[in-house]
Amino acid sequence: MNTCQDARPMIPSYLDGELSEAQAAPLRKHLLECQPCRATAQDQKNLARWFQVAKTAEAPLPVPRDFAARVARRAFQGDRGALGTELAPAPARTGAESRHLRLVLTLTAAAAAVVLIVSMAIRQMTLPNGQDLRADDKKEAVVPLPEAIQELDRLNARERDAAGKLEEQKGAAQIGAPAERRP
Amino acid sequence: MELRAMEPQPADDLCLVQETLAGHQASFQLLVERYQSRMFALARHYTKNPVEIEDLVQEAFLKAFTRLDTFQHQSSFYTWLYRIATNTILDWMKRRGRSPVTSVEDPEVLPEPSKVKVAAPDAQMERAEIAKITHAVLEHLPDIFRQVLVMREFEEMAYQDIADVLGISIGTVESRLFRARAKFKEKLLQLHPEFGQDE
Repeated sequence: MNTCQDARPMIPSYLDGELSEAQAAPLRKHLLECQPCRATAQDQKNLARWFQVAKTAEAPLPVPRDFAARVARRAFQGDRGALGTELAPAPARTGAESRHLRLVLTLTAAAAAVVLIVSMAIRQMTLPNGQDLRADDKKEAVVPLPEAIQELDRLNARERDAAGKLEEQKGAAQIGAPAERRP
Repeated sequence: MELRAMEPQPADDLCLVQETLAGHQASFQLLVERYQSRMFALARHYTKNPVEIEDLVQEAFLKAFTRLDTFQHQSSFYTWLYRIATNTILDWMKRRGRSPVTSVEDPEVLPEPSKVKVAAPDAQMERAEIAKITHAVLEHLPDIFRQVLVMREFEEMAYQDIADVLGISIGTVESRLFRARAKFKEKLLQLHPEFGQDE
Protein backbone atom coordinates (compact mmCIF):
# COMPACT_ATOMS: atom_id res chain seq x y z
CA MET A 1 0.00 0.00 0.00
CA ASN A 2 2.02 2.90 -1.29
CA THR A 3 -0.38 5.63 -2.31
CA CYS A 4 -3.41 7.38 -0.88
CA GLN A 5 -5.23 6.53 -4.12
CA ASP A 6 -4.87 2.84 -3.27
CA ALA A 7 -5.69 3.31 0.39
CA ARG A 8 -8.69 5.65 0.33
CA PRO A 9 -11.24 3.39 -1.40
CA MET A 10 -10.42 0.62 1.09
CA ILE A 11 -11.05 2.70 4.21
CA PRO A 12 -14.84 2.12 4.37
CA SER A 13 -14.39 -1.63 3.87
CA TYR A 14 -11.73 -1.60 6.57
CA LEU A 15 -14.03 0.19 9.02
CA ASP A 16 -16.87 -2.19 8.08
CA GLY A 17 -14.63 -5.15 8.96
CA GLU A 18 -14.81 -6.46 5.41
CA LEU A 19 -11.08 -6.69 4.72
CA SER A 20 -9.02 -9.78 5.26
CA GLU A 21 -6.00 -9.43 7.53
CA ALA A 22 -3.77 -9.56 4.46
CA GLN A 23 -5.58 -6.52 3.09
CA ALA A 24 -6.00 -4.71 6.40
CA ALA A 25 -2.38 -4.88 7.60
CA PRO A 26 -0.84 -2.68 4.85
CA LEU A 27 -3.75 -0.25 5.13
CA ARG A 28 -3.20 0.08 8.89
CA LYS A 29 0.48 0.81 8.23
CA HIS A 30 -0.46 3.46 5.66
CA LEU A 31 -2.94 5.09 8.04
CA LEU A 32 -0.24 5.38 10.70
CA GLU A 33 1.96 7.24 8.28
CA CYS A 34 -0.61 9.34 6.37
CA GLN A 35 -2.48 12.11 8.16
CA PRO A 36 -4.89 12.95 5.26
CA CYS A 37 -6.00 9.30 5.04
CA ARG A 38 -6.40 9.20 8.83
CA ALA A 39 -8.63 12.27 8.54
CA THR A 40 -10.68 10.48 5.86
CA ALA A 41 -11.04 7.47 8.14
CA GLN A 42 -12.16 9.70 11.02
CA ASP A 43 -14.67 11.37 8.70
CA GLN A 44 -16.11 7.95 7.86
CA LYS A 45 -16.31 7.02 11.53
CA ASN A 46 -18.13 10.25 12.33
CA LEU A 47 -20.58 9.53 9.53
CA ALA A 48 -21.17 6.00 10.80
CA ARG A 49 -22.02 7.47 14.19
CA TRP A 50 -25.09 9.16 12.72
CA PHE A 51 -26.44 5.80 11.60
CA GLN A 52 -25.57 4.09 14.89
CA VAL A 53 -27.43 6.67 16.94
CA ALA A 54 -30.36 6.72 14.51
CA LYS A 55 -30.61 2.96 14.64
CA THR A 56 -30.70 2.75 18.42
CA ALA A 57 -33.05 5.74 18.71
CA GLU A 58 -35.69 4.27 16.40
CA ALA A 59 -38.93 3.80 18.24
CA PRO A 60 -40.52 0.48 17.29
CA LEU A 61 -43.29 0.87 14.79
CA PRO A 62 -46.67 -0.21 16.19
CA VAL A 63 -47.92 -3.37 14.50
CA PRO A 64 -51.71 -3.80 14.27
CA ARG A 65 -52.80 -6.19 17.00
CA ASP A 66 -54.41 -8.75 14.73
CA PHE A 67 -51.80 -8.48 11.96
CA ALA A 68 -50.26 -11.94 12.38
CA ALA A 69 -53.63 -13.67 12.66
CA ARG A 70 -54.90 -11.86 9.58
CA VAL A 71 -51.82 -12.71 7.50
CA ALA A 72 -51.88 -16.36 8.58
CA ARG A 73 -55.59 -16.62 7.76
CA ARG A 74 -55.09 -15.09 4.31
CA ALA A 75 -52.11 -17.35 3.63
CA PHE A 76 -54.11 -20.46 4.42
CA GLN A 77 -57.01 -19.17 2.31
CA GLY A 78 -54.67 -19.23 -0.68
CA ASP A 79 -53.98 -15.50 -0.89
CA ARG A 80 -50.63 -15.09 -2.63
CA GLY A 81 -50.53 -11.32 -2.37
CA ALA A 82 -50.76 -8.88 -5.26
CA LEU A 83 -47.43 -9.86 -6.79
CA GLY A 84 -48.07 -13.57 -6.37
CA THR A 85 -51.32 -13.20 -8.27
CA GLU A 86 -49.55 -11.40 -11.10
CA LEU A 87 -46.90 -14.04 -11.41
CA ALA A 88 -49.02 -17.11 -10.78
CA PRO A 89 -49.44 -19.26 -13.91
CA ALA A 90 -52.98 -20.08 -14.99
CA PRO A 91 -54.05 -23.46 -13.58
CA ALA A 92 -54.34 -26.30 -16.10
CA ARG A 93 -57.92 -27.12 -17.13
CA THR A 94 -59.41 -30.55 -16.79
CA GLY A 95 -61.05 -32.36 -19.74
CA ALA A 96 -64.56 -31.62 -18.40
CA GLU A 97 -63.70 -27.92 -18.00
CA SER A 98 -62.36 -27.78 -21.56
CA ARG A 99 -65.53 -29.39 -22.99
CA HIS A 100 -67.69 -26.98 -21.00
CA LEU A 101 -65.62 -24.05 -22.23
CA ARG A 102 -65.99 -25.22 -25.88
CA LEU A 103 -69.80 -25.51 -25.47
CA VAL A 104 -70.05 -22.03 -23.98
CA LEU A 105 -67.90 -20.57 -26.77
CA THR A 106 -70.02 -22.31 -29.48
CA LEU A 107 -73.28 -21.04 -27.97
CA THR A 108 -71.84 -17.56 -27.68
CA ALA A 109 -70.77 -17.59 -31.35
CA ALA A 110 -74.25 -18.82 -32.46
CA ALA A 111 -75.97 -16.11 -30.41
CA ALA A 112 -73.68 -13.48 -31.92
CA ALA A 113 -74.57 -14.69 -35.47
CA VAL A 114 -78.33 -14.48 -34.74
CA VAL A 115 -77.98 -10.98 -33.36
CA LEU A 116 -75.99 -9.96 -36.46
CA ILE A 117 -78.64 -11.33 -38.87
CA VAL A 118 -81.54 -9.67 -36.99
CA SER A 119 -79.75 -6.34 -36.84
CA MET A 120 -79.03 -6.50 -40.61
CA ALA A 121 -82.72 -7.21 -41.30
CA ILE A 122 -83.84 -4.27 -39.18
CA ARG A 123 -81.35 -2.06 -40.95
CA GLN A 124 -82.64 -3.20 -44.33
CA MET A 125 -86.20 -2.24 -43.33
CA THR A 126 -85.20 1.27 -42.43
CA LEU A 127 -83.36 1.98 -45.72
CA PRO A 128 -85.33 3.78 -48.61
CA ASN A 129 -86.70 1.35 -51.23
CA GLY A 130 -86.12 1.34 -54.98
CA GLN A 131 -89.21 3.45 -55.86
CA ASP A 132 -88.09 6.18 -53.51
CA LEU A 133 -84.80 6.22 -55.31
CA ARG A 134 -86.46 6.41 -58.80
CA ALA A 135 -88.64 9.34 -57.66
CA ASP A 136 -85.53 11.45 -57.60
CA ASP A 137 -84.98 10.68 -61.28
CA LYS A 138 -88.37 12.31 -62.21
CA LYS A 139 -87.42 15.64 -60.76
CA GLU A 140 -86.82 18.42 -63.28
CA ALA A 141 -83.33 19.00 -64.23
CA VAL A 142 -81.70 21.63 -62.14
CA VAL A 143 -80.94 24.72 -64.22
CA PRO A 144 -77.57 26.23 -63.59
CA LEU A 145 -77.83 29.57 -61.79
CA PRO A 146 -76.46 31.93 -64.55
CA GLU A 147 -78.93 30.45 -67.07
CA ALA A 148 -81.80 30.85 -64.62
CA ILE A 149 -80.91 34.50 -64.08
CA GLN A 150 -80.72 35.13 -67.83
CA GLU A 151 -84.12 33.43 -68.31
CA LEU A 152 -85.58 35.59 -65.53
CA ASP A 153 -84.17 38.69 -67.16
CA ARG A 154 -85.75 37.71 -70.46
CA LEU A 155 -89.14 37.14 -68.80
CA ASN A 156 -88.93 40.46 -67.04
CA ALA A 157 -88.06 42.21 -70.30
CA ARG A 158 -91.02 40.57 -72.08
CA GLU A 159 -93.36 41.64 -69.27
CA ARG A 160 -92.03 45.19 -69.41
CA ASP A 161 -92.59 45.32 -73.19
CA ALA A 162 -96.06 43.94 -72.85
CA ALA A 163 -96.93 46.41 -70.08
CA GLY A 164 -95.59 49.31 -72.16
CA LYS A 165 -97.68 48.36 -75.19
CA LEU A 166 -100.77 48.07 -73.03
CA GLU A 167 -100.25 51.58 -71.63
CA GLU A 168 -99.84 53.01 -75.12
CA GLN A 169 -103.07 51.41 -76.31
CA LYS A 170 -104.96 52.76 -73.27
CA GLY A 171 -103.61 56.25 -73.90
CA ALA A 172 -104.66 56.23 -77.54
CA ALA A 173 -108.16 55.05 -76.67
CA GLN A 174 -108.68 57.83 -74.10
CA ILE A 175 -107.67 60.61 -76.58
CA GLY A 176 -110.04 59.42 -79.39
CA ALA A 177 -113.16 58.61 -77.24
CA PRO A 178 -115.97 61.19 -76.30
CA ALA A 179 -116.70 62.01 -72.68
CA GLU A 180 -119.50 59.89 -71.30
CA ARG A 181 -121.29 62.51 -69.31
CA ARG A 182 -120.37 65.74 -70.84
CA PRO A 183 -122.88 68.34 -69.97
CA MET B 1 -26.33 -14.77 4.78
CA GLU B 2 -25.49 -13.68 8.27
CA LEU B 3 -27.51 -10.91 9.82
CA ARG B 4 -25.82 -10.05 13.04
CA ALA B 5 -27.77 -10.15 16.30
CA MET B 6 -30.86 -11.30 14.44
CA GLU B 7 -30.89 -15.03 14.93
CA PRO B 8 -33.38 -15.95 17.64
CA GLN B 9 -34.39 -19.55 18.28
CA PRO B 10 -33.48 -21.02 14.88
CA ALA B 11 -34.54 -24.48 16.03
CA ASP B 12 -37.96 -23.15 16.97
CA ASP B 13 -38.24 -21.48 13.59
CA LEU B 14 -37.53 -24.75 11.85
CA CYS B 15 -40.22 -26.49 13.90
CA LEU B 16 -42.71 -23.76 13.09
CA VAL B 17 -41.87 -23.98 9.38
CA GLN B 18 -42.40 -27.74 9.39
CA GLU B 19 -45.67 -27.42 11.31
CA THR B 20 -46.84 -24.75 8.88
CA LEU B 21 -46.04 -27.02 5.95
CA ALA B 22 -48.05 -29.74 7.71
CA GLY B 23 -51.05 -27.41 7.66
CA HIS B 24 -50.95 -25.71 11.06
CA GLN B 25 -52.12 -22.14 10.61
CA ALA B 26 -51.29 -21.24 14.21
CA SER B 27 -47.62 -22.09 13.63
CA PHE B 28 -47.39 -19.71 10.70
CA GLN B 29 -49.10 -17.08 12.82
CA LEU B 30 -46.36 -17.54 15.43
CA LEU B 31 -43.68 -17.06 12.78
CA VAL B 32 -45.35 -13.86 11.63
CA GLU B 33 -45.65 -12.60 15.21
CA ARG B 34 -41.99 -13.35 15.80
CA TYR B 35 -40.68 -11.29 12.88
CA GLN B 36 -43.39 -8.76 12.13
CA SER B 37 -41.73 -5.93 14.10
CA ARG B 38 -38.46 -6.28 12.20
CA MET B 39 -40.29 -6.43 8.91
CA PHE B 40 -42.18 -3.24 9.75
CA ALA B 41 -38.88 -1.59 10.75
CA LEU B 42 -37.34 -2.65 7.45
CA ALA B 43 -40.24 -1.42 5.32
CA ARG B 44 -40.33 1.97 6.98
CA HIS B 45 -36.90 2.78 5.60
CA TYR B 46 -38.54 2.87 2.17
CA THR B 47 -41.90 4.50 2.86
CA LYS B 48 -43.38 6.53 5.68
CA ASN B 49 -46.94 5.64 4.68
CA PRO B 50 -48.31 3.25 7.38
CA VAL B 51 -50.72 1.62 4.92
CA GLU B 52 -47.94 0.95 2.43
CA ILE B 53 -45.70 -0.41 5.19
CA GLU B 54 -48.40 -2.84 6.31
CA ASP B 55 -49.15 -3.90 2.71
CA LEU B 56 -45.47 -4.53 1.99
CA VAL B 57 -44.94 -6.61 5.12
CA GLN B 58 -48.10 -8.61 4.49
CA GLU B 59 -47.02 -9.20 0.90
CA ALA B 60 -43.62 -10.41 2.07
CA PHE B 61 -45.14 -12.89 4.53
CA LEU B 62 -47.62 -14.18 1.95
CA LYS B 63 -44.81 -14.70 -0.56
CA ALA B 64 -42.75 -16.44 2.10
CA PHE B 65 -45.70 -18.75 2.84
CA THR B 66 -46.08 -19.76 -0.81
CA ARG B 67 -42.36 -20.55 -1.01
CA LEU B 68 -42.00 -22.13 2.39
CA ASP B 69 -41.28 -25.54 0.88
CA THR B 70 -38.19 -24.05 -0.80
CA PHE B 71 -36.68 -22.95 2.53
CA GLN B 72 -33.41 -24.88 2.61
CA HIS B 73 -32.49 -24.44 6.30
CA GLN B 74 -29.00 -23.43 5.16
CA SER B 75 -29.59 -19.95 6.50
CA SER B 76 -31.78 -18.79 9.34
CA PHE B 77 -35.48 -18.29 8.70
CA TYR B 78 -35.08 -14.56 9.27
CA THR B 79 -32.28 -14.30 6.70
CA TRP B 80 -34.45 -16.14 4.21
CA LEU B 81 -37.47 -13.99 5.07
CA TYR B 82 -35.39 -10.82 4.90
CA ARG B 83 -34.33 -11.62 1.34
CA ILE B 84 -37.94 -12.16 0.29
CA ALA B 85 -38.99 -8.93 2.01
CA THR B 86 -36.22 -6.93 0.37
CA ASN B 87 -37.10 -8.28 -3.06
CA THR B 88 -40.77 -7.51 -2.39
CA ILE B 89 -39.83 -3.92 -1.58
CA LEU B 90 -37.62 -3.67 -4.69
CA ASP B 91 -40.46 -4.98 -6.87
CA TRP B 92 -42.83 -2.50 -5.28
CA MET B 93 -40.41 0.34 -5.95
CA LYS B 94 -40.14 -0.73 -9.59
CA ARG B 95 -43.94 -0.87 -9.92
CA ARG B 96 -44.14 2.64 -8.47
CA GLY B 97 -41.70 3.79 -11.11
CA ARG B 98 -38.93 4.32 -8.62
CA SER B 99 -36.39 2.03 -10.14
CA PRO B 100 -33.79 1.05 -7.58
CA VAL B 101 -31.24 0.13 -10.23
CA THR B 102 -31.20 3.29 -12.27
CA SER B 103 -29.27 6.35 -11.43
CA VAL B 104 -28.10 9.30 -13.41
CA GLU B 105 -24.73 8.80 -11.80
CA ASP B 106 -22.36 5.98 -12.46
CA PRO B 107 -22.01 4.18 -9.15
CA GLU B 108 -18.64 2.82 -10.21
CA VAL B 109 -17.09 6.27 -10.39
CA LEU B 110 -15.79 7.18 -6.98
CA PRO B 111 -16.11 10.80 -5.91
CA GLU B 112 -13.19 12.95 -4.91
CA PRO B 113 -12.91 13.16 -1.14
CA SER B 114 -14.60 16.26 0.20
CA LYS B 115 -12.42 18.81 1.93
CA VAL B 116 -15.20 19.45 4.43
CA LYS B 117 -15.41 16.72 7.05
CA VAL B 118 -18.54 15.80 8.93
CA ALA B 119 -18.78 15.99 12.68
CA ALA B 120 -20.15 13.15 14.74
CA PRO B 121 -23.57 13.99 16.17
CA ASP B 122 -23.34 16.28 19.14
CA ALA B 123 -23.45 14.42 22.44
CA GLN B 124 -25.84 17.06 23.74
CA MET B 125 -28.36 16.37 20.99
CA GLU B 126 -31.39 14.25 21.68
CA ARG B 127 -31.07 10.82 20.09
CA ALA B 128 -34.51 11.21 18.59
CA GLU B 129 -33.39 14.43 16.94
CA ILE B 130 -30.32 12.69 15.47
CA ALA B 131 -32.53 9.88 14.17
CA LYS B 132 -34.92 12.40 12.65
CA ILE B 133 -32.12 14.21 10.83
CA THR B 134 -30.57 10.94 9.62
CA HIS B 135 -33.86 9.67 8.21
CA ALA B 136 -34.64 13.01 6.62
CA VAL B 137 -31.27 12.94 4.84
CA LEU B 138 -31.81 9.32 3.76
CA GLU B 139 -35.11 10.28 2.18
CA HIS B 140 -33.28 12.73 -0.06
CA LEU B 141 -31.00 10.04 -1.47
CA PRO B 142 -31.69 8.11 -4.69
CA ASP B 143 -33.13 4.65 -3.96
CA ILE B 144 -30.01 2.97 -5.28
CA PHE B 145 -27.97 4.55 -2.48
CA ARG B 146 -30.61 4.39 0.26
CA GLN B 147 -30.91 0.63 -0.21
CA VAL B 148 -27.28 -0.16 0.44
CA LEU B 149 -27.14 2.22 3.39
CA VAL B 150 -30.20 0.62 4.97
CA MET B 151 -28.80 -2.86 4.43
CA ARG B 152 -25.36 -1.98 5.76
CA GLU B 153 -25.97 0.62 8.47
CA PHE B 154 -29.33 -0.45 9.87
CA GLU B 155 -29.52 -4.15 9.04
CA GLU B 156 -25.74 -4.65 9.47
CA MET B 157 -25.58 -6.95 6.50
CA ALA B 158 -22.25 -8.23 5.22
CA TYR B 159 -21.17 -7.08 1.77
CA GLN B 160 -21.65 -10.57 0.38
CA ASP B 161 -25.24 -10.67 1.65
CA ILE B 162 -26.01 -7.28 0.12
CA ALA B 163 -24.49 -8.52 -3.14
CA ASP B 164 -26.66 -11.66 -3.02
CA VAL B 165 -29.88 -9.79 -2.34
CA LEU B 166 -29.27 -7.11 -4.96
CA GLY B 167 -27.74 -9.49 -7.48
CA ILE B 168 -24.54 -7.45 -7.88
CA SER B 169 -20.86 -8.12 -7.27
CA ILE B 170 -19.07 -7.35 -4.02
CA GLY B 171 -16.99 -4.77 -5.88
CA THR B 172 -20.19 -2.99 -6.91
CA VAL B 173 -21.44 -3.12 -3.32
CA GLU B 174 -18.19 -1.48 -2.16
CA SER B 175 -18.28 1.29 -4.72
CA ARG B 176 -22.01 1.86 -4.28
CA LEU B 177 -21.63 2.11 -0.51
CA PHE B 178 -18.73 4.49 -0.98
CA ARG B 179 -20.84 6.75 -3.17
CA ALA B 180 -23.88 6.38 -0.96
CA ARG B 181 -21.96 7.54 2.09
CA ALA B 182 -20.48 10.44 0.15
CA LYS B 183 -23.98 11.42 -0.99
CA PHE B 184 -25.33 11.10 2.53
CA LYS B 185 -22.59 13.35 3.85
CA GLU B 186 -23.10 15.88 1.05
CA LYS B 187 -26.84 16.08 1.72
CA LEU B 188 -26.37 16.19 5.49
CA LEU B 189 -24.00 19.14 5.19
CA GLN B 190 -26.27 20.80 2.66
CA LEU B 191 -29.28 20.58 4.98
CA HIS B 192 -27.26 21.12 8.18
CA PRO B 193 -24.05 23.02 7.42
CA GLU B 194 -23.49 23.42 11.16
CA PHE B 195 -22.23 19.80 11.26
CA GLY B 196 -19.37 20.52 8.86
CA GLN B 197 -15.73 20.65 9.94
CA ASP B 198 -13.05 22.27 7.84
CA GLU B 199 -9.80 20.36 7.56
